[in-house]
Amino acid sequence: MSARSVVVTGVGWLGAFGTGLPALARGLAGGVPAVRAIDRSQGYHRPNGATLVASCAGLDLSPWLSPQAARRMSDLSQFAVAAARMALQDAGLTDVKGERTAVALATALGPGGFTEQLARQILEKGGKAASPFLFTDCVANAAAGQVAIDLGARGANLTLCQREAGPLLALAHGTDEIARDRADVCLAGAVDEMKPLVHALLDRFRALARPGALGEAARPFDQYADGALAGEGACVLVLEAAERAQARGARVLARVGPTVRAFDPSAGRAGFGRDAHGLAAQLQAQLGHALVGVDTVVCGASGVPAHDRLEAAILRRALPHAPFAVAPKALHGEFGGGTLGTALLALANAEFAHPAACRQPDPRHGLALGHGRHRAGRVLLSALAAGGVAAWTVLEQP
Amino acid sequence: MTPGPIVVTGLGCVSALGDSVAANWAAALAGRRGQRDLTLFQTATHRTTQAAEAGLPPAAAGDRGLGRAERFAVHAARAAVAGLAPERLRSARAGVFFGSSTGALLEGELLLAELLARRQPSVRPIAGIQNDGPGTAVARALGVRGPVVTWSTACTSANVALGAALDALRSGEVDVAVAGGADELCQITYAGFNSLRAVDPQPTRPFRASRAGLSMGEGAGVLLLETAAHASARGATVLAELAGAGKSCDAHHVSAPAPDGAGAAAAIRLALREAGASADAVTFVNAHGTGTPHNDDAESKAMAAVFGARAAHVPVTSTKSVTGHLLGAAGGIEAVLTTLSIVHRLLPPTAGDEPADPALGLDVVLGEARPLPARNLGLSTNLAFGGNNAVVLLRSPA
Repeated sequence: MSARSVVVTGVGWLGAFGTGLPALARGLAGGVPAVRAIDRSQGYHRPNGATLVASCAGLDLSPWLSPQAARRMSDLSQFAVAAARMALQDAGLTDVKGERTAVALATALGPGGFTEQLARQILEKGGKAASPFLFTDCVANAAAGQVAIDLGARGANLTLCQREAGPLLALAHGTDEIARDRADVCLAGAVDEMKPLVHALLDRFRALARPGALGEAARPFDQYADGALAGEGACVLVLEAAERAQARGARVLARVGPTVRAFDPSAGRAGFGRDAHGLAAQLQAQLGHALVGVDTVVCGASGVPAHDRLEAAILRRALPHAPFAVAPKALHGEFGGGTLGTALLALANAEFAHPAACRQPDPRHGLALGHGRHRAGRVLLSALAAGGVAAWTVLEQP
Repeated sequence: MTPGPIVVTGLGCVSALGDSVAANWAAALAGRRGQRDLTLFQTATHRTTQAAEAGLPPAAAGDRGLGRAERFAVHAARAAVAGLAPERLRSARAGVFFGSSTGALLEGELLLAELLARRQPSVRPIAGIQNDGPGTAVARALGVRGPVVTWSTACTSANVALGAALDALRSGEVDVAVAGGADELCQITYAGFNSLRAVDPQPTRPFRASRAGLSMGEGAGVLLLETAAHASARGATVLAELAGAGKSCDAHHVSAPAPDGAGAAAAIRLALREAGASADAVTFVNAHGTGTPHNDDAESKAMAAVFGARAAHVPVTSTKSVTGHLLGAAGGIEAVLTTLSIVHRLLPPTAGDEPADPALGLDVVLGEARPLPARNLGLSTNLAFGGNNAVVLLRSPA
């Protein structure tokens, strides 16, 4: 695509485990998700549906976002701005104003809280009751726009909505902005908020793990898997051209490798397809020899059986050497881009616990999760989205 | 090896002007407006009553269960690819690049109303509620296996998608791309824009001194793009070349454009650079032209910054005056109409009887369609919430 090599020089993460990548590292090493009860008081939920969420409620974002600024934003925008500032701080960058700074964020669900509030105003009180404040921050790209305003980033400002594949696609397009020499710095990643309405809708789609004898938990690749843990948060990476990072003496966390994008038309509107053979063939054909050196896979597996079955079948075919595999969504939850942070941790010799809720690997998957301290050389990030989109990205040691 | 020019070989669109390219082009040339009293939902509690509401296109086999925006998208896409053998789309070398600002938000509002009434609604109708609904519906309908990505950057969504398709074709990732956008009217956007006092109670009056806001619209606009080599090999008729695309962000305000138009000007300059063209080569502009005082003012300043003294002599139109503002699909239908301007060497008028606002200093095409020269470079601009700017350049084929 281009000769400009792209590296990661900073990361900002926030989620149910706290703020900062060390918080995610502690959570992944602990093996137990940080969950709380979702608010079911609005009556949106099914009576026997999911009750837990990996929530950011109570996080202190004040080091990155003043209370005055926070009041003008949805949770989604707050998460994005805080994570972006955290990432820049981590990268040692203080001023990224100008046309050479791009933003590329994915959001699967958008600002659901503001959208719900606005819709309720309209439905309950009429159109004239609609709040302009809620409206302007309820578009999907409001979070990326707020990041740009906060930082003075006047390059491309991209918001991708591709469900579970969004984080990898945002990383790929952010990388592309630099590789094509349209930007010097790009803040790329994912952000999502999980409000009761969205949680209830996911549950009604049977996407979430349910209470039961074994307890309500996400169990990726497990015989007892029955759904995902809904989560929220943000993960923003600072991407730079390798030569620029080197010139300023930046610490490089990873080199961004190629991304493969594919679609499985056998998937339904809200489900996963069956064409593991075709998707694996595309992955192999497009990544080629880069797959050989993959020693770690950060799976998108969330405990949704149809998803995990498809992902395992693809990985078995494409990576017969069975690299070290982790499924962090069991712990940080689905949505919010935690897989990006997990990949960086894998490259940094992090400790991974076996998710405590996973009891019995499903032998049909033929994929065992790794645990213990692990230093990756080349990580394959895998993402399959409901509706049929697939993406895989390589991050590797610089 | 570069793939050579990227060309447009198929068009499809749906709007209040009709569900065929011919109907839309005829109405645009005649300055026949699509605005009328809304029937999609009750307007009694809203501040205005009109919009450019589209008729639902006829359903084809496989369309059962699709939402409104998905129906628009799939209908337009099928028209765009009508001349292409289906097996060329059922390939990893074919992709879908789509923009949508609201997805199936209308269906989401209906679902929320059901939940608030304490009923237990089926979730099936909102399977496509997420913003990627239209794009993935197109991908499924056509059976593509390559990249499928949805951008949700409010009113620039489709132009961002067109730019991404251009990148994917130029990089050799795909040979064929189906690109554009789709959006549907819903109460949230209707009441939301009204809450900002951004909707004209009358049909919109872009570039007039009395301009008082936009007209909401809905529909889809889709282009079939391919490498010139691919088009030539299959004997396709080339309608235009997609010569360049540019993106930028104002980083100024969540909903208002930067008053000096600097961000929009930066996006235009980037597109010109990518097209290898000078500003002097632009022969016409299909402007964002929403008819809001701020937009038309900022956009005219952007054109003055790029074209200099020539800004007063470059013909400018706003086809939103007849289609209404299709939000995330605006760039799609405007690229369709810009392509048709190149094919027919005619620029449709900006509908309405009043003279242009002399303070803007633009050559606004009024009254009747303006003949264009034999060879053209057409600029199509979109500005959006979040300070987002995205433009595309289309030119006469070699």
